[in-house]
Amino acid sequence: MTQRPDSPLKKRFSFAGIALIILAGGGWFVTRLPSSPFDGAAPQATPDLIARGEYVARQADCVACHSLEDGAPFAGGLEMGTPLGSIFATNITPDPQTGIGTYTLADFDRALRHGVTPDRRRLYPAMPYPSYEKMSDDDISALYAFFMNDVTPVQQAAAQSDIPWPLNIRWPLALWNVVFTTGQTYQTDPDQSEQWNRGAYLVEGAGHCGSCHTPRGMAMNEQGLDSSDPDFLSGALLDGWFAPSLRGDGAAGIGRWSEDDLFAFLSQGRNDHAVVFGSMTEAFNNSLQFMTDDDLRAISVYLKSLPGQGPGWQAQPATVTSLVEAAQSGLPGAETYMANCAACHGRDGLGQNEWIPALAGATSSQGTEPASQINVTLNGSGRVVADGMPDSYRMPPYRDRLNDTQIAEVLQFVRSSWGNTGTPVDTDAVADLRMRTDPASVAPIVLQMR
Amino acid sequence: MDMIKGLIPGVDPQDFTHGAPVNLSRRSVLRGALGIGAGAMVLGFGLPSGTARAQAAATMAPGSNVPAFLEIRPDSTVRLLSPFVEGGQGIFTGMAQIIGEELDADPSSFIVENAPAGADYLVIGGQMRITGGSMSVRMSYPLMRKLGASARAMLITAAADQLQVPASELTTEPGVVIHAGSNRRIAYGDLATAAFDLPVPDPETVALRDPATFRWIRQPVKRLDVYDKSTGRAEYSIDVTVDGMLHGAVQHAPRLGLMVETIRNRDQVAALPGVHAVEILDGAVAVVAQRWWTAKRAVEALEVDWVEGTDLPKGWRALPADFSSDAFAQELAAATGPETEAEAHGDAPGVLDAAQTVISATYHSQYLHHAQLEPPSTLARFNPDGTLDLWLPNQAPEQYQAAVAGLTGLEPAQINIHSPILGGFFGRHFLYPAASAYPQAIELARRTGRPVKVIWTREQEFLRDPMRPMAAVRFRGTLDDNGMPLAIEAVSATEGPTEAVYGHGDSVDETAVEGLSKKAYAIPNLRIAQVYVENPVMLAYWRSVGNSMNDFFYESFLDELANAGGQDPLALRKHLLRDTPRLTKLLEAVVDLSGGWKRGPFTAEDGSMRARGIGMASPFGSEAAAIAEVSIENGQVRVHDIWEVLDPGAIVNPMLVRQQIRGAAALGLSQVLMEEARWDKGEPVARNYDMYSILPPDQMPEIHVGILESGAPIGGVGEPPLPAVPPAVANAVAALTGKPVRRMPLSRLRFDS
Amino acid sequence: MQLNINGQTHEVDADADTPLLWVLRDNLGMTGTKFGCGLAQCGACSVLVDGQVTRSCVTTVDMLEGTEITTIEAIEQDDVGARVVEKWVEHQVPQCGYCQSGQVMAATALLKEVAQPTEEDVRAAMINLCRCGTYNYIKAAIDDLSGRKGEPL
Ligand code: FES
Ligand code: FES
Repeated sequence: MTQRPDSPLKKRFSFAGIALIILAGGGWFVTRLPSSPFDGAAPQATPDLIARGEYVARQADCVACHSLEDGAPFAGGLEMGTPLGSIFATNITPDPQTGIGTYTLADFDRALRHGVTPDRRRLYPAMPYPSYEKMSDDDISALYAFFMNDVTPVQQAAAQSDIPWPLNIRWPLALWNVVFTTGQTYQTDPDQSEQWNRGAYLVEGAGHCGSCHTPRGMAMNEQGLDSSDPDFLSGALLDGWFAPSLRGDGAAGIGRWSEDDLFAFLSQGRNDHAVVFGSMTEAFNNSLQFMTDDDLRAISVYLKSLPGQGPGWQAQPATVTSLVEAAQSGLPGAETYMANCAACHGRDGLGQNEWIPALAGATSSQGTEPASQINVTLNGSGRVVADGMPDSYRMPPYRDRLNDTQIAEVLQFVRSSWGNTGTPVDTDAVADLRMRTDPASVAPIVLQMR
Repeated sequence: MDMIKGLIPGVDPQDFTHGAPVNLSRRSVLRGALGIGAGAMVLGFGLPSGTARAQAAATMAPGSNVPAFLEIRPDSTVRLLSPFVEGGQGIFTGMAQIIGEELDADPSSFIVENAPAGADYLVIGGQMRITGGSMSVRMSYPLMRKLGASARAMLITAAADQLQVPASELTTEPGVVIHAGSNRRIAYGDLATAAFDLPVPDPETVALRDPATFRWIRQPVKRLDVYDKSTGRAEYSIDVTVDGMLHGAVQHAPRLGLMVETIRNRDQVAALPGVHAVEILDGAVAVVAQRWWTAKRAVEALEVDWVEGTDLPKGWRALPADFSSDAFAQELAAATGPETEAEAHGDAPGVLDAAQTVISATYHSQYLHHAQLEPPSTLARFNPDGTLDLWLPNQAPEQYQAAVAGLTGLEPAQINIHSPILGGFFGRHFLYPAASAYPQAIELARRTGRPVKVIWTREQEFLRDPMRPMAAVRFRGTLDDNGMPLAIEAVSATEGPTEAVYGHGDSVDETAVEGLSKKAYAIPNLRIAQVYVENPVMLAYWRSVGNSMNDFFYESFLDELANAGGQDPLALRKHLLRDTPRLTKLLEAVVDLSGGWKRGPFTAEDGSMRARGIGMASPFGSEAAAIAEVSIENGQVRVHDIWEVLDPGAIVNPMLVRQQIRGAAALGLSQVLMEEARWDKGEPVARNYDMYSILPPDQMPEIHVGILESGAPIGGVGEPPLPAVPPAVANAVAALTGKPVRRMPLSRLRFDS
Repeated sequence: MQLNINGQTHEVDADADTPLLWVLRDNLGMTGTKFGCGLAQCGACSVLVDGQVTRSCVTTVDMLEGTEITTIEAIEQDDVGARVVEKWVEHQVPQCGYCQSGQVMAATALLKEVAQPTEEDVRAAMINLCRCGTYNYIKAAIDDLSGRKGEPL
């Protein structure tokens, strides 16, 4: 077996397109400071506003990138590997030297919604400002109030990105923004209910669901930033995980889920169809579950309204239901499944109620992109912590017990059993992910905001 | 106390003392009268005060006080309190055979339990007792025979009294005293009460059986515990319950040396249904609850901020936050420093420095978990009279008793150590700092005022299980004109488990170098030395201790020398052992067992390319030789067969010996093939069997077993079969691939099929 | 909720996602079923659910209403189970014994499914871990049960 790289949990963004953009553009435009509605405005800091800001920080999942498990809240540090090199999340505590202590409300706004720092540097769009730009002025000032008043300043300089010159020149991102952002806050759709609009605001804006779930184009731009675009939230590969379609797609999306299912998933991390896993566990543990029932309900309503395509999953009975049958069947992966997976996920792939997810009919068992299944099999999944209680059962990593071929075969078995329609899994894809990833932590991780 | 006095007239509760002369016959009659079975519930009530115990100090030599060991019940079944703990090795059966042989009682009529702590049971040299070092039988054999003989003599004396005949006219058959003259027979059960109130005869005077007349010793007597163990009846520490007991679960600090700064959500967790208490302990947090599952879930819910601790409990090693076992292996390989010589003759350094050709190689071993299947647990109960009952897995009751005395301020005599059978041990349950649940259980019982049983999850166990040490051994060797080894030098950078646990001194730690030193080969110039490198992690004994890795190093390097000199490895060994008949015979025996030596590579019937390797070891007073046959399958090593012959000098039960050979071989195989406890960023990478592989059934080859009884002094059995196996496998792989294997486990290497 | 264990109905008060293992051990005092890993990795906790071998440490009790659960405590009440125990004793399989409840359950499930399992069936079905290395003995006992008696070990 090869040695695993000793790297921390990494988020990987691929910025291949940046190189193209560097070749274009120039002039004052790329170094200008965009205007902000808060230019010259005096910040507010009432307790209510600060509390609201804290809630907005949950919606925006700021901790996910700007805090490390063993670091101070919002002091930065998360390493995001890119093909060009690593970048590191910055310190966003109100420390004047190393954080955002000297930011005015307008500076804060420009960073958040336009990706521009006070010293006119452009942020990489790993910072989801194309989504955040939809946030309302009120939410921005609340968020500012929270960060400035309730976050403890920590002196901790951000690690330097190791992206080499000239690829580390950031001004071309200004041009990127012209092409790939709308420059507008969320616009209410008068034809939809207030609840729907609230859901849309959260999903498209602060929640930045598209960052993971919307496919990206050549320049790493999300191919669709709102419900009008059929690519929006239609599923995407990022960071070794395939974030599935959140649209009403039959087998590959959430077409089978009811609004209640969706609500349960968002609020408890689990329902009868699925349990959060992979990167979604982090989003759930740190942020999603802390949102109000009203907001989660609004999100459910909104997501259920997104049309989908393709037929739904048609259940098929299991053809192999025991170790002996599996061995006798000669079906690749069947025996591995019965020996390693069936104890929890069931001999019939149906899982155990909402506690252990079904693999039969699971969105990850369909479609052409098996990365999530490979990843979760190799590395297990982080603990799901709902209402302060870690899950009763964790998915263990199998990278030690199963080799690449066994993993490819067992997933092949899963993806072709019980009516699943996933494409086969390539052994090389397993080998590749094995190299690039690390096992999930056994300990429950909930990042702290204070 | 009064309750008992009232219940059984004439029984003085002082008889309930442990660690002092105890008339078990009466004590157990009492149990029978109360209708209480053996086990957890009965001990610990009505215990006398410390003063009373002190007056009843042991006066007899350890191992001779018959009633402390034996009770014969009215139905003539024999209850034996074994000084050695049963943990799979079959020692209960072995003890029943040895004692039964002299007592003249069929081993199958024995009921065996672990003895409590107490001076009577210090049967190893009259000083101590542990269950380990493969010592049980070899250290106690004469003593236990005398014990059985003494008991028989007491039964005969009692019978003589009852029958009014001279003792010399009495004989015994299993379980019965016979007066041939009058054709009268008295069952042991009818004599026991009287017999065990008699003074114990001087063990030196009792007559022992002529070994030629042995009926049970050396026979494959069936184990006494297999039925209970096949039906779920056997009770381990983790199973013990007492009235009013609560359950405890812990969350250990991610690194040893961290202490609790705060628990952020203590109140919320304390308010969960079923939760009794949330407690802060040394380097851990705990939840005590009505049920263990509740406690386990709740303790995982605790959000704890940890800080570097000051004033750590004695023996704890604060682990650096950046500790990595891979980096440490490199450090060991490069370690320089004073070299303490373990063995030297001739002039190895001189010969090597002058040699034209020197073969040198650095070998590595890995950290290992014990990975015994039963997770650690402890049940602690404070009694109204101030005594403390503890049920815990342990290989050394007195050591635990003393440690608990130090911890609690109680007198040792106030601490009742109950030692249920072990769900595997392999060295895990000696007394190691920070590695046991007992301080936690005691503290939780004290704070809650209730009996508390703490069970560690596998994840918590793998965070605190102390490691089998790592070593990096730098070898140099050179050959004479005939291609035979002329000089070997081995310098091991390591820390032995003994010095890790009890402190590093000036002299070499035997447990660090055993298996490198004291090899029987006739090497003209030899030097074995240790460079002491303290480990950041906690260390422990692991089955066969230093031999578990050192024989791998030495025997594999010996094959490298054989290759360099164009010698066949078997021929080379035979040559080096030409003056050691016992080992020459052993080598021949293992070769015969394997159907004749063929090293290979050769094509097997199934078409696979295979090769064989050989390894030898001399651990714990026994001699072992193993041959392994391997092939490469999907880039990994597959072991098809192992042939192993053990010569422990003499044996008590061939069936048990065969079991131990197979079990030890499996563990050795597990080590060389797949086991490794890696540490990264100050934490163990594996927290369960998911990431710490142990040998699964489909990788188990058939182990073909041979036993030689050379008549040498009786040696160990439980550990000695292990160390020969890893080098046998490694040498077979080297023979197959043409490349030496210099590190374990093989799973970290890739082989081309 | 109600669970049918070893032919008896037990009223059980436990959260829906509690593993059967701990209901057996703590709520019902049936400690013959062992806790080894709690992660479906070792098999020490194996029981039969409707005759099929099931790892009780990862089986939620809410899945079990209406099923028939058999634990090691009642294994000899089952004809096949009784034969397995008999052979386990005859072949002297257990060492420390901790894994053996699970091994006996797995063997019983196998023989209930296939009366005369082939060596290949045995290899596929007997996957529980044993740290004491009793695998050769387990195989010998099951071979015997399958009518392939070899040399006793
Ligand atoms: S305890 Fe259930 S499989 Fe290990
Ligand atoms: S007999 Fe000890 S673990 Fe199997």
